Amino acid sequence: MATRRYAALRRVWGAPAALGTLTCFGLLAALLGVDIWHWLAWAALAAPVVAGVWFWMFPRR
Amino acid sequence: MTAAASLKSWYWIHKWSSLLCTLFLLVICITGLPLVFHEELEHLLDDGKPYAVVAEGTPRTSLDSIVQNARAQYPGEVVQYVYMDDHEPTVYVGMAASYSADPKQHHYMRFDAHTGELLKDGDTLAQEQFTFMGLMLALHVDMFAGLPGQLFLGLMGLLFVIAIVSGVVLYGPFMKKLSFGTVRKQRSTRLKWLDLHNLLGAVTLVWATVVGVTGVINELAVPLYGLWQSTEVAELIASYRNDAPPQQHSSMDAAVAAAAGAVPGNEVVSISYPGNRYATSHHYVIWTKGSTPLTGHLFTPVLVDAGSGAVTAVGHPPWYLNLLELSRPLHFGDYGGMPLKVIWALLDLLTIVVLVSGLYLWFARRKANDARIARRVSDMSANPAAARS
Repeated sequence: MATRRYAALRRVWGAPAALGTLTCFGLLAALLGVDIWHWLAWAALAAPVVAGVWFWMFPRR
Repeated sequence: MTAAASLKSWYWIHKWSSLLCTLFLLVICITGLPLVFHEELEHLLDDGKPYAVVAEGTPRTSLDSIVQNARAQYPGEVVQYVYMDDHEPTVYVGMAASYSADPKQHHYMRFDAHTGELLKDGDTLAQEQFTFMGLMLALHVDMFAGLPGQLFLGLMGLLFVIAIVSGVVLYGPFMKKLSFGTVRKQRSTRLKWLDLHNLLGAVTLVWATVVGVTGVINELAVPLYGLWQSTEVAELIASYRNDAPPQQHSSMDAAVAAAAGAVPGNEVVSISYPGNRYATSHHYVIWTKGSTPLTGHLFTPVLVDAGSGAVTAVGHPPWYLNLLELSRPLHFGDYGGMPLKVIWALLDLLTIVVLVSGLYLWFARRKANDARIARRVSDMSANPAAARS
């Protein structure tokens, strides 16, 4: 029962939580770091944009 | 409260917090788009003279001579601030008719930092509100209404954050049976936009929360600085309470040098002139910033006695001013080069889609409800007995 509830939670919140974590990382990496950290920040912050536009264009059924 | 009742309350919170702020948030998001690129656009739209290209190592002219030149342009006015551009060798001098003048009546002049030549004599902020970028800024920040406008839009930002939080609570039940990334395009327009609203709301969630919260904090800048002035600054300058402000102000260059000496490693960014609301009547307040990526956003003010030219104190801004200063880059998106600005603009566009789809869903639902009620009413008039049961 507990594992099933955990699986359901992960199914609903897994992707938003991952994108949220990437967003946090990107916002802070650009603020605290230089050079390579800016590249990592751009990559991390591009993830939510790409995910949003991708599933808008090619949605799951 | 049962799960159904609690869901209903959250739905109610989401609906009303969104409805109240959506139109203002739309204006904020749309005007925010050009503002993300304000440096580039201002550069493009600027009609001032270019600064002189000089050999490396050419010394800068003194701030005192620049200020003297500014005073000569507007005799009878007071100097409010001096600001050194950190991208270009230019110096801005802000002036106004008096220290008590409305901040919107301030105007600035831009000088070449090397030659001291006047490059641009700007309009007052009140007039600049009607240039393209000024209009964007006014609509974004205060709706032309000064502090009350700032507080009002801050409140709208707070409602936006409440809408996000309640949206997160609703996301779970709505997405229970759906995989992330599902958009039911075939079934109905309303369903398609509901799925897009949920999808784009979820991907922009953290960014929109950060930009929303930092936006609210930025709208509180005036009261937060006022609080700091009336507490820490008042304490630092308590011994000056009974003195008359100095008649003659000491050299600004000497004050800047003294301040730089008091905070080694920091760079001087701007100077609030004695009498300005960010200074005191007896002091220059010299704003310096640190040299690491993080401390480059945090300011350390140094109070320099405008009579004697000696450093009175180094301020240690309280947590709320540090929070305010960190809220600026996190709101503006100007701290990670052009790619970050582009990402900022794209996330802003996605947020606009979330706002518009939310508004559409409310309309569609109302229409559906109206239709349902109309059907019920017609059933009742056709068959009164059945309707009563």
